Amino acid sequence: MGHGDLFTPILMGVMLGGLYALTALGLSMVFGVMRVINLAHGDLVVLASYGSYAVLTILGLDPVLGLVITIPVMFVIGVLIQKYLMSKAVTIGAEAPLIIAFGLSLVIQNANQIMWTPLSRGINTGYSQASFYLFHRQFPMTYLMDFVVGIVVMLVLREFLRRTYMGRAISATAMDPRASRLMGVNTKRIYYYAFGIAMISAAIAGTFLGMTFPFTPTSGTTFLTIAFGTVIIGGLGSLAGTFMGGIILGLVQTLSAYFLGANAQMLVLYVVIIAILAFRPQGLFGR
Amino acid sequence: MMGIKMHIKPTVLLAYILPTVLLAFLPMAGVPRSWIIYTFLFAIYLAMSNMWNLLAGYSGLVSLCQPAFLGIAGYGMVIGTWIGIPWWIGLLGGAALAAIFALLLSNAVFRLTGVYFSIGTLVVPEALRMVFYIWRPVGGAMQGAGAGYMLRGSGATLLPSYVYWMALILGLASMVIMRIVLRSNLGLGLAAVRDNERSAASCGVNVFRLKVYTFMISGAVTGLAGAIYFLNMGYIEPSASFSVKWTMAILLATVIGGIRTEEGPIFGCIVTVALYFLLARYGGYSFLIQGVILIAIMLLSPQGIVGLLRKMKWYCKLTAYSEG
Repeated sequence: MGHGDLFTPILMGVMLGGLYALTALGLSMVFGVMRVINLAHGDLVVLASYGSYAVLTILGLDPVLGLVITIPVMFVIGVLIQKYLMSKAVTIGAEAPLIIAFGLSLVIQNANQIMWTPLSRGINTGYSQASFYLFHRQFPMTYLMDFVVGIVVMLVLREFLRRTYMGRAISATAMDPRASRLMGVNTKRIYYYAFGIAMISAAIAGTFLGMTFPFTPTSGTTFLTIAFGTVIIGGLGSLAGTFMGGIILGLVQTLSAYFLGANAQMLVLYVVIIAILAFRPQGLFGR
Repeated sequence: MMGIKMHIKPTVLLAYILPTVLLAFLPMAGVPRSWIIYTFLFAIYLAMSNMWNLLAGYSGLVSLCQPAFLGIAGYGMVIGTWIGIPWWIGLLGGAALAAIFALLLSNAVFRLTGVYFSIGTLVVPEALRMVFYIWRPVGGAMQGAGAGYMLRGSGATLLPSYVYWMALILGLASMVIMRIVLRSNLGLGLAAVRDNERSAASCGVNVFRLKVYTFMISGAVTGLAGAIYFLNMGYIEPSASFSVKWTMAILLATVIGGIRTEEGPIFGCIVTVALYFLLARYGGYSFLIQGVILIAIMLLSPQGIVGLLRKMKWYCKLTAYSEG
């Protein structure tokens, strides 16, 4: 650190951005389709991190391969949350979804704490320590994986929303639920699937976050803030914006760690998010 | 002062003051120490829940930054004792700091509506916690990092029962404040804004100013409650003050009692304090159970205990009398 070499933190920040965009995807999806900000999103991502940790330590399975287990589990959890909590909450009042999601967040957080103790965990695989070289500088391989996975998931989601019936029905419901219902879309079921798909992205995000950073049961708030910041910066509803938002937050984090030290990086991130909320609440790329 | 006379009949005032006076005699009556602690916590929670109810229930501002107010006021008061300010000035100064902080914050967060507001406010205590982990305003470095402070030089002038009485008075005051605010122009404006912000604004209600006032009142009283709490603790540190656990307790108390009802927080705080001590022995499960209760109440009876009570005739008769 401190060699006046900005190339390393910049590239690391960009690669991290892919991961952040991935983390934000589920939050953005749930908000875009159901107009509900899922306050428990961060904790659900951490739940997925613990899921992959369990797959690795108990089953001895590689966490990336283990996604065949964690993805369906998270999908079902998402459908259940939508079916039994959120769909009822929106009928009660404006503050009910928020309060219920807040309660859910604490339930997950403390369930994680009971199951896994408050100790910091990390998903360590054979390639966790691997690195690659670019212009004679060393980078961790996990960051590259984060970036690639982030892009791949975003592209897959985009094609899914554009080309499949389900995807189009989701987009239509997001635009106008009433009109979609009149066109024969079962919006109730679309909501289940939308939350489920959001949880699939949370499962992937949680797995790769767990491989990149150590995490604790209370990491959810940090992850939620990152996801929310990404969505805010990018503006809602645009996948490209979300991706840019992720990269900007990634850069803010690595550059502030570079200039101000590792202690300050999350604080700077929070301050940037609050400042953007204050001065450009529609996001940097919003109208 | 006209407002107080208009809105609070002598009988209602008596219903507020009589229990407070009775509770005030507890320390002299030689009751077990635990009763005092329960009542103290009840009064602190009551003030905080009332102030959250004012924001979330009556103003449509589901604030998740209440720990910021109580932490700032607490730190203001405790650090004040390190630089020679007596604790009782620190209490008021801390509350004023929290109100000023609410004013500053309102510029940023009131541009956000609904859920954006909630997440915007959720970030604030997190950021403050990190500030106080890194920054130590006065005094030399302690072991490790972070700003943990003992209350200084209060031993001679501060008896435990003083703190208890202050909490009681604040709990009572928060009830009276709610009653006055809700029946004043401020409260009527808030009701109009909550029902339809646009039409309220077009009728000449200054929406922004109303919300700022409410936010500042809420910040000041929550801050004062926090400062009294930390006066009792005698110690403050970042993870206990800017903690989401406060938000949880405040939400739980208000939701259990009945959000958007005046008497709700009283019932809610009794239940929350009881839960707090009943569940204390279960450690980590305590918050798990509280979270489940929060979700269940919200789904099954969105108006909490008061919602259930209002279905009974005798309760309606009782409360109809106090309305005026």
